[in-house]
Amino acid sequence: MIETDVLVIGAGPAGSTAAKHAALGGAQVIVIDKKSEIGSPKRCAEGVSKDGLKKLGIEPSSRWVTREATGVRMVSPNGTAVNLTEDKVKLPEAGYILERKIFDKHMAMDAARAGARIMVKTLATGMRREDDQVVVTAENMGQELEIKAKIVIAADGPESRVGRWAGLRTALAPKNMESCAQFEMAGVQMAEPDCIEFHFGSVAPGGYAWIFPKGDDIANVGLGILTTRTEKTAYQHLLEFVESNPATQNAQPVELNVGGDPVGGLLKKKVADNVLVTGDAASMVNPLTGGGIISGMLGGRIAGQVAAQAVADGDYSHKNLKVYEKLCDDELGESFKKYLKAKEYLLSLSDGELDEIADVFKDSDFETINTAEMVKKLIKISPKALLKLGKLF
Amino acid sequence: MIVNEWCMYCGECAGVCPQNLIEVREISLKINHDECKDCGICIKVCPVQALQGDD
Repeated sequence: MIETDVLVIGAGPAGSTAAKHAALGGAQVIVIDKKSEIGSPKRCAEGVSKDGLKKLGIEPSSRWVTREATGVRMVSPNGTAVNLTEDKVKLPEAGYILERKIFDKHMAMDAARAGARIMVKTLATGMRREDDQVVVTAENMGQELEIKAKIVIAADGPESRVGRWAGLRTALAPKNMESCAQFEMAGVQMAEPDCIEFHFGSVAPGGYAWIFPKGDDIANVGLGILTTRTEKTAYQHLLEFVESNPATQNAQPVELNVGGDPVGGLLKKKVADNVLVTGDAASMVNPLTGGGIISGMLGGRIAGQVAAQAVADGDYSHKNLKVYEKLCDDELGESFKKYLKAKEYLLSLSDGELDEIADVFKDSDFETINTAEMVKKLIKISPKALLKLGKLF
Repeated sequence: MIVNEWCMYCGECAGVCPQNLIEVREISLKINHDECKDCGICIKVCPVQALQGDD
């Protein structure tokens, strides 16, 4: 039996960040990941904010930043576009477009440099309690392993099986799980190559379609849908989007990515005895944008720090770990609640309403207009915004 | 449950399985058929329609 202070399950950005900070906090750390290559395949549009990386103390590197995206272009169903740029408005996911396959590896390398031991191609298959610790059973290249840990950090992504082994309710209802499909394409002709692009309406029922530029003529072209709102799969919607969008008429795919995105808002109970849930497994995803790299890493950092402290305390009980929930709620929960409201409003709009709103805002000078004026303008064209968004501003 | 060969092992099905019966490996999918109640949620959320019922 292998023994360790902290076992992190899943070496995505959240897991690696948790491992790094647990190790920096003095704990002995093992990270396991079921894949043979950390970061691959990506299941992500790869956008992160500059502020987010700064907050995490991570210097952008040319190894994993493909390009900067300084603006956001929002397109209504009839093609009316509203452009926002970074210098005028604070934008949640605009900033850098990453190469996740490389970024994720580098985050894992940082964890290793901080002292964590990493095991790839190692799948957690179950968990049991033994004394005041937990034993995780795992498989590596046909070998059965047992890893005994004081704390397990569940960073196993949208599958979130580990949390459930600990008795937490991490399973998601389909209305809280965006079903996503994406091509990475070459030959994309974007109207505004400095912007990340969002397309709203029936092109992606329950979500939106995106085009995120990756430099030259390369872009991630994808969408997320709620399967409760359409009979078609995410992939079928993607094919239709690529077929109809002007930017992709001459584009060719070099990669297909699919996956679930937990957009229901932050998981409430993230802690059990010996167990902390973080990243996508705890729905640390902006419910409006579906972005979860920075938020997952912020959650991961807190998880690592709380785990290290618990190891130092010699107390791995739910009670001693509970501070993790409060810290995550403060860091992420409050803003997520606002984004959730904004999403509910957005999803209530018909194609016609979206077109009307885009038409009103398309010529706005966002430099001179303040939030209050913007909301006033919005309510004039879409009265239900008052009811759905009024209290947010 | 039948797992078609174009499954991409993304794990979305595992995340919505109310009974936590789906184990997603790097290039295989293991479903605990004995306990499966055929609720069909996993079939519905799959982004590429890789899952189908037995009948």
